[in-house]
Amino acid sequence: MLEVSSVNIAKALRAIKKSVWVYHLNSGSCNACDIEVLDALTPYFDVERFGIKLVGSPRHADVILFTGPVTRESLPKVVKTIKAMPRPRLILVLGSCGIGGGIWWDTYSTLGGFKKLEEILRENGVEVDRVVYVPGCPVRPEAIIYGMLLLLGLVEQKSKRVEVVASEG
Amino acid sequence: MSVAKILEIALRTGRVTRRYPYEPPLLTPEFRGAVKIDPSKCWGCGACVKVCPPNALTLKPAGKEATLEYFVGRCVFCGMCAEVCPAKAIEVTKEFELSATSLEDLKSRVIHRLARCSICGAPIWTEAELRTVVKSSPIAEEYYLVCPKCRKERFAKAAMLRLGAGSE
Ligand code: SF4
Ligand code: SF4
Ligand code: SF4
Repeated sequence: MLEVSSVNIAKALRAIKKSVWVYHLNSGSCNACDIEVLDALTPYFDVERFGIKLVGSPRHADVILFTGPVTRESLPKVVKTIKAMPRPRLILVLGSCGIGGGIWWDTYSTLGGFKKLEEILRENGVEVDRVVYVPGCPVRPEAIIYGMLLLLGLVEQKSKRVEVVASEG
Repeated sequence: MSVAKILEIALRTGRVTRRYPYEPPLLTPEFRGAVKIDPSKCWGCGACVKVCPPNALTLKPAGKEATLEYFVGRCVFCGMCAEVCPAKAIEVTKEFELSATSLEDLKSRVIHRLARCSICGAPIWTEAELRTVVKSSPIAEEYYLVCPKCRKERFAKAAMLRLGAGSE
């Protein structure tokens, strides 16, 4: 298996920072997230300010905009699509569906999110180099932009794990 | 359309592109973002867990503690948990910049200590919930520190005694 070291990823990120080609991959979402992706691509939010451009083939893509909880029907196509992407594979997982399965987290007909898909990809020898999870249902166009900037390393991550003990008195 | 016409329209309309992230996002008053649980108010009653459609909230007992976990990655931002919470401990915020590079960063936890049954020692409700219940309706300690199973057994024993006494 070809290993891409973190140094190479940093180098690749530097190279694509101002020209990011994205491919939109829907794995069975309710389409609201996909409409928000289109929204982010319109002149209103104009992601071409950051050099982000939609392309029609995963072979041209730097980043995959991944939506949906991965239905069983879409699984082979999803694996094929991600496999077709050149290294380093950067994936922006959009929406509750993509991250944790959303309201379809435990249905028989979906995988319930990206975590399971990542395991299947690994079994098939498809390595994913960097993943950023963007919560939202649907994700706001601004949240997509923020996630993309986080993926490119232009902003600091705000979310962090919190663990508190409930009050004692 | 001629170039002059396009230019005229463009000049009349001006710039429509949002400058986000260099200007504040367009948040409407109705927008619901991530919810926030106030650990000083939460009882650990589990009402929010029952009502949450995608199980983004879970309450898991483990040993002496019960953990209320909020996984924002699965939340659908419906706000039903805030509506149902009897302690008003959940607030719907306008936070949407939640992106993270790992799933662990999307989880927040509130840890509750569990009270134990005074007879069998099994963990029952959270201490915070017991405190709240006692505050709102004072009941004798012998009741509220007994788990439902032991309570049933105790009741059955008492009833048997009564019946036995009556038949003699
Ligand atoms: S996250 Fe919500 S809006 Fe997006 S595809 Fe899933 S259900 Fe639809
Ligand atoms: S008090 Fe509110 S936040 Fe805490 S478990 Fe009950 S419903 Fe959930
Ligand atoms: S807002 Fe809805 S989905 Fe999110 S934690 Fe509350 S009940 Fe669950």
